[in-house]
Order: sequence, then structure tokens, then C-alpha cells
Amino acid sequence: MDKLQRMIKGKIPGEATGIEVRKSICTICDPQTQCGLDCYVKDGRIVKVEGSLENPHSAGTLCSKGAAQRQWVYHEERLKTPLKRVGPRGSAEFAPISWSEALDTITDNLQRLKAESGPQSVVFYCGYPKHLRPFLQRLAFLYGSPNYCTESSACFTAMSMGWRLVYGQMAAPDLANTKCLLVWTGNPLWAGTPNARRIMDARERGVKFIVVDPRNSPMAGIADVHLKLRPGTDGALALAMANVIISEGLYDREFVAEWARGFEEFKAYAATFSLERAEQITGVPAALIREAALLYATIKPAAMMPSSTPVVHHTNGVQNQRAAAALVGLTGNFDIPGGNVSQPLGWLEVGGAGFPTREHQFKMPLKWTDLPPRLGAERFPVWTDMIDQGQAMDLPRQVATGDPYPLRGLVAFGLNYRMFPDSRGWLEAVDKLDFVCVTDLFLTDSAKHADVVLPACSSVERSELRAYPQKYVVYAQPVIEPLGESRPDTDIIYGLAQKLGLDYQNLDGTAPAMSAPVVAGQQAPTGGFLPNGAPDFGEAFEATLDWILEPSGMKISQLKEHPGGMPVPDPLPVTFKKYEKNGFPTPSGKMEFTSSILEKYSDRPGIDPLPVYAEPRLSPVSAPDVAANYPLILGTGTRLPMFIHSRTFRLPWTRSLRRDAAVDLNPADARRFDISTGDMVELSTPYGSIKVKANVTELAAPGVAHMYHDYPEADVNTLLPGDYLDPISGFPGYKASLCSVKKLGATDGTAQGVKL
Amino acid sequence: MNHAFYLDVNRCVGCFSCAVACMDQNDLEVGTEPTAWRQVFVIETGSGPEARLRYVSLACMHCEDAPCMMACPTGAIARAPATSAVVVNAEICIGCHSCSIACPFGVPRFGKNGTMQKCDLCSIRLENGLEPACVRVCPTRALKQGDPNAMSQEVEKKAAARLAAGS
Repeated sequence: MDKLQRMIKGKIPGEATGIEVRKSICTICDPQTQCGLDCYVKDGRIVKVEGSLENPHSAGTLCSKGAAQRQWVYHEERLKTPLKRVGPRGSAEFAPISWSEALDTITDNLQRLKAESGPQSVVFYCGYPKHLRPFLQRLAFLYGSPNYCTESSACFTAMSMGWRLVYGQMAAPDLANTKCLLVWTGNPLWAGTPNARRIMDARERGVKFIVVDPRNSPMAGIADVHLKLRPGTDGALALAMANVIISEGLYDREFVAEWARGFEEFKAYAATFSLERAEQITGVPAALIREAALLYATIKPAAMMPSSTPVVHHTNGVQNQRAAAALVGLTGNFDIPGGNVSQPLGWLEVGGAGFPTREHQFKMPLKWTDLPPRLGAERFPVWTDMIDQGQAMDLPRQVATGDPYPLRGLVAFGLNYRMFPDSRGWLEAVDKLDFVCVTDLFLTDSAKHADVVLPACSSVERSELRAYPQKYVVYAQPVIEPLGESRPDTDIIYGLAQKLGLDYQNLDGTAPAMSAPVVAGQQAPTGGFLPNGAPDFGEAFEATLDWILEPSGMKISQLKEHPGGMPVPDPLPVTFKKYEKNGFPTPSGKMEFTSSILEKYSDRPGIDPLPVYAEPRLSPVSAPDVAANYPLILGTGTRLPMFIHSRTFRLPWTRSLRRDAAVDLNPADARRFDISTGDMVELSTPYGSIKVKANVTELAAPGVAHMYHDYPEADVNTLLPGDYLDPISGFPGYKASLCSVKKLGATDGTAQGVKL
Repeated sequence: MNHAFYLDVNRCVGCFSCAVACMDQNDLEVGTEPTAWRQVFVIETGSGPEARLRYVSLACMHCEDAPCMMACPTGAIARAPATSAVVVNAEICIGCHSCSIACPFGVPRFGKNGTMQKCDLCSIRLENGLEPACVRVCPTRALKQGDPNAMSQEVEKKAAARLAAGS
């Protein structure tokens, strides 16, 4: 091989090889990561990816999923054209159709449903990615539907509710300046890699790590103190720690005296959680609970690192989250350097992005009170008070009962029905709808239930605006042409808005009145559509972004000059102890140990102004009769490093790292049930069972079966009932219910186990 | 200059980014057999409260006195002059597996055509002033490459700092 051939094979960028490095971002996952992505492009095709060094968030790193970008973007199953269903729902019998026919079919049906049952009968849903959310919410509202909902029905929002019920705001850990990090709970080393190096650096500088986690995760592995609790008992642990801190006089008396509401009641309640009682409930040794409490209360400053789901994926989740979050203010670590610092949420809810926008005005051109009540309004009143979305967990009930009004349509971007407990029930509800449209990169098992499917672009084929907590902003632009006839999600939304005759692009002035409905069948204006009918609204999109960005002083044209992103000019200053000037943004103006908002709804079961500890609805303690036959705790959705939800199973590189759907079992439990790694087992709950391989590992907590979610061949969410929900947030109790495992032998007709 | 990998085993967290970055750089086809050039191992020791999980990412060690080079009957394995990496020329490999028998680290892998394939320390990238793909991607900066003495010096410097901090 000559030198040039070696250079090309080795993908060395430069003029000689014709390989150019173009900047983009990865959105394979989307919990405020968006790692900078260097795409090595030759002849219009990406031949390699790498992390972008200059992005201060990810600093050149990628996770295993981002590194597999090319197998995501160029997967042979990428949808290349719009599709129309020609067989029964779920049959996967589709015919390719033109964009014109697809968009007209969608808008004709949306106009019909609006006329027949009112616009509120259509649900607008967004899974991953999240860049399109403000645009979809605006579409829903201008169409007249309050039923904008997202996968945040099961992720992040409940954690935010927990914090906001206490402080009126979230407050992120100041990792760079803290001396003690209480991780409650998370494992960014696998699931949020932009922070991985910062965490390891903090460890190396001697920051004390206290990690709450049932598993022996790598994060727990670097902990000085590992509080290995029974899943769902976080509230009891937090209250016991609070009790130690209060009774040993280690709390911030001045702060509490001036800024706390309900401290005396909280103190009295926490006093009922002795160390011995907490050990009995949580399984964490009493001495360790006390040691952790003392470390967190005496090392100054100390910070708490939460994450989106593990504490709130429980039927008692929000109350548990409140109890944990309260420790921050109790110890005087709220809004101080090295503690938990509150900053305004910026674009796409990134805390500390550092620049103001008109996102709220854009995405909510109408008030909730201008529209009929949204999904989950009656059933989840606290969610409804606090979150600007519908709660999608209520969809099956509303479809079944028509209460308070019938649902008849669904417009979804990135839908994964397996996300929902009683996933088949959720899908059956979707099948009852009159008209379903799904936009995705693949004909997923959810998309197979649509009447029309639209092909979406990946991040490297589209433009999007992203902000980072480091006060850095990127306007990523396409590095390759869209594959086939795929289009960016935002172009699709603009196209639908145009065809529906909505006043979508009227940005200035007061909330625009809803347009007169376009008569079904009438030709929509052709502006903004390609010859094949595909929507092309790039200019309108950028003009909108400029309008949204106006308070920041930044313009898209300026951001385009910095393809890898740029620091925010004149970022909003970070200030501390803002409560001294402004109070807390809670109804009482104080930090609330007893919540004003929850007091309003305290007649409802499971809602209490104090962060009351309750067992998970199905636990060995709360349901011993069930536990007699289902003796293990079932935890679902706990992260694996090579997968993100359902997205990366189909990528050979990531799939090769863990080939089979498998349940992680602790060796003690495996011995109990005579199970070895590679055995086929039946994982059952009272609601169903799945057959999976066993993976015996000390990663798994004793007494807990950890099963990853979303496998088409082993859908663990069929094992949870649809109403296994936290009454405050509507979040499913994914991480604590009850199950059994049974080894399947050769007599069951299954093959002998093969090594994973 | 001599190049070698260094793995800070206290920072490796088993995230697999390195393994996939290598697959991406080298267009590896991965099927049901473990043919990937970089492998990440979970080492579990102890049980119950004493249980520990550690993670180790391994590819070729690029030995100075490489047993695979000695064992290869066709001379398919040689040292790349510019980088000191041990590289295999698949075109003259006869797939005899002698290298596999000789290598104490279990590095040689065999693709569909039966010839040996393995990590080449991203030699062509090193020649062009770029880091190996695995090193470049590592989220915890556990994986490094460079002159072995220089890298040892860095590790020792950190140890000295820890000693000073403790005294």
C-alpha cells in the first residue's frame, strides 16, 4: 500500500486524502449531553467520528454510543421515504408515498379530527431528541391542543419537581469547587460521559465521595462511603441522615431560622427515623448512615449530585427526592460556591446556559387556561401545576373512558411505546386512535402502528441550536446531505403548520389568535416545499431562532461562523445566596420542608406536605403476600454503558458488547435459584413474564433483579401494571416492584445457555 | 520515539468508548465472535460487602521483544519504524495462529478470512501527529499513549504529590 493509500485508509484529514473534518453534535442520547462531534467527511460521506476538543462540555470525549455514530446514521434500515400503512396496524405493511401525499394526509386528518372532536382530541408527542420540543409545543397550541407531552412523562421532570417543591428551583452541584460530593443517585461514568473526567479529577484532588446506589456501579466503586440501599428507600435514608444532622447540632441554624418553612414539623418527623430504624428499612448499616451524614454535614462546602431518574422512578419517588434535596439547605450548602448553585434554566432547559431567550413565549403562545384541560390534569394535579406538558401516563385511561373528552389522534416524533408500564396496554390505546403519525429514523415497533410514517434526519444531517452549562453555545449545521428523502424534524413541524394554515411564524406582538381552519382538501401554500413536496423551512427556522435568541444579543449568522460553537458573549453572571435578596421562588418565599403546593392536594393518597417516607407499593415490606411468590425486587431501566433506551440495539458495534437480553443477578441470589451466567431464565411478576439470559454479577444489588428495558424480544415493561405510578409526578415505579426468576431447563424446549 | 499504551486502572470505568472508537477507526466487522481489537474486561473479585468490580481496557501491548514477531513464520509481523508499533501485514499472513500461541496477552484475533488482525497503535495517526482513536475518545482520560518512560514519570509525579499531601 503506498503512502497515500495508507493515509486514506487511516482516515487522515487533509487535502491529500480529501478528508475534511466538519463539526456537528451527537444527539443519540439527549439528557443535556450533545457531545461535540468531529465528522471526518470524504466525498460527502462520514468515514469516522471523534469528539470535538473545543467543546468545553465533552472536551473531545464520546461514549460508546456516540462513537458508533456511523452505524446509527448509515444503518441500512434508515427510513428513506414517507410511508403509508397498507396493512393492519402493527403489521409493518407500508408503501412508500410522496411527501406531498404524506403531509396532505396528515393535515387532512388533523383538520377532520379538529372539526369532529375538537383540536384537543389530538396528542402531540416527542421522545428523543429534544431539540424540536419548543417547535412541537407551539404547533400543538396553535392547532388548539393542550396535549403536548414527551418522554419527560417518565424522565427528569419528577426530579425537578422534587427539588422545586423544596426550593422553588433546581440547583446543580458545583463540582469544581466542592470538597464533598454526595451522589444521590447517578452514574455519569456510563450515562453522562461529559462529566466523567471531571468526576475522576475531583476524586484525584481528594474530594470525598458519598454514593447512594443499590448497585456496585463504577461510581459506587470510587466512593469513600457507599450507601448501598434497598431500591426505593431513599426517603428513609435521607430522613435518618437529617435526624443525625439536626440532633447532633450540625445543621445551619441561621439559614433554617430565617429561610425555612416547616422546620419544626420536619425535625419531629425526621426524629422518627433513628439510625436503627433506617438500617432496618434501607439495609444500610447504621454506623455508615451516621458516617455519611457527618461527612456531608461537616465538610464545607459539600454538594449533592442528583440525576434524572433513579430516585424518582418509584411510586414514592418525589417524596424521596424532596427528603434528599432538603439536606442541601439543612446543611447550609444551598446556593454557595462548592455547594448546589441555582442558575436560570436556559435554552432547552439547560441550567446555567448563561443567556436569556424567548423560548417560553415561543413555545407557549397560549396559556394553559386558554385551552381545555390537558392529559393527566385531574389525575396528576401537582404535575399539572408545575410542568408545562401533559402527563402521557394518562393516555390509556383517557382513550378508554373518553374522560374528560375523547382522544382521537397522535402526532409523534421518536415514539417508543415500550417506555410505558403495561407497554402493550399503552400501545393498544394508540391502536384505538383514529389517526396516528410517527416521525422517526427507523420503522420502529412503535412506528409500525402509525398510519403515516415520516423519515427524520439524524443530528449530522440537520441544523440545531444547543447550549451547555459551561456557557457555550453551538448552532450545528449539516455535515452531510440528508439520507434519502429524510427531513429535519423542525422542517416537518413548519410544513405541518403551514398546511394547517396556522399563524406559526407570527412571532411578535401578543399571542396570535388561532387561524381559521383550512378547509380539508384545499391546497396549502406551496412556499417552503421542495419539488418532491418535502418541507424545507430552513430560513424560517433560522429567523425564528434569531427571534428566540434576541434577548441574548446573539444571532445565528454569528454562530454560523463558529461551527464547533463559541463561548456565550457576556454570559449572565453567577451569583450566590440569591435568596437573601429575592427569597425563594416558592409560594412562601422560603425553603419548604413542608410544601405549600402539596398542602393543596394533601387530601389525595400519597400526597403529604412533609416528605413522608412510604414503601414502594410492591416491596417485600409493603406486600409480603406478593413477595412470598415474587421474592426479588425488580429494577428496570438501570443504565448500561453501551445502550440508550431502544436506540442502539440495532447497531452491531454496540450490540456486540452485550449480545443478549439479560437480567443482572447478584451471585447470592443466583446461587439461591441455581442460576449461572448464560442460563435462560423466566423473569416474572404477577402481571407477566419474559424469557431472558442470566448475567450473574456483583454489579447487581443483593435481592434485586436488574433488567434493561426496551428489548423487543423481552419487554420488561409488560411486567408492570399501567397504574404503578407516583401520584405526585405520574412517574412509573420502574426501579422497585416485585419479581421472581426461574431457571428454564432443556425440558422447557429452550437451548442451553451460551456465554454472554 | 517508542510508543506504548498506558491505562490508569483507577480511572477505567468500563464504558467501552475505546472499544467502539477502535471499531470506527478501523471499520471493524463485529459478529458473534470477539474479534474487536480492543477489549474491555470486567474483573470481579470478592463477594458481598467485599465485592469489587474493576475494569481493564486492553489491546496490543506493542512489546519491545514481541513474541508474536518471533513466532511468525512468514515475517508478517514487524515493527513500524516511525512509531515502534508492532503491526501485522495481513497480505503475507498465512493464519497459522502461531502468534496467538506466543502472545501472553491474547491479542491476536482472526477475521473472516482467517488472517490475523490486531491493534496497530493507530500508527498512521501517530505518524501524522494524531492520538490513537481509543486514547482520543476516553471519557475519563484513563487511556494514554506515549513514550513509556515519560508516561511512568507522570505517574510517579502524581504519586509524589499524594505522598506530599499525606505528610
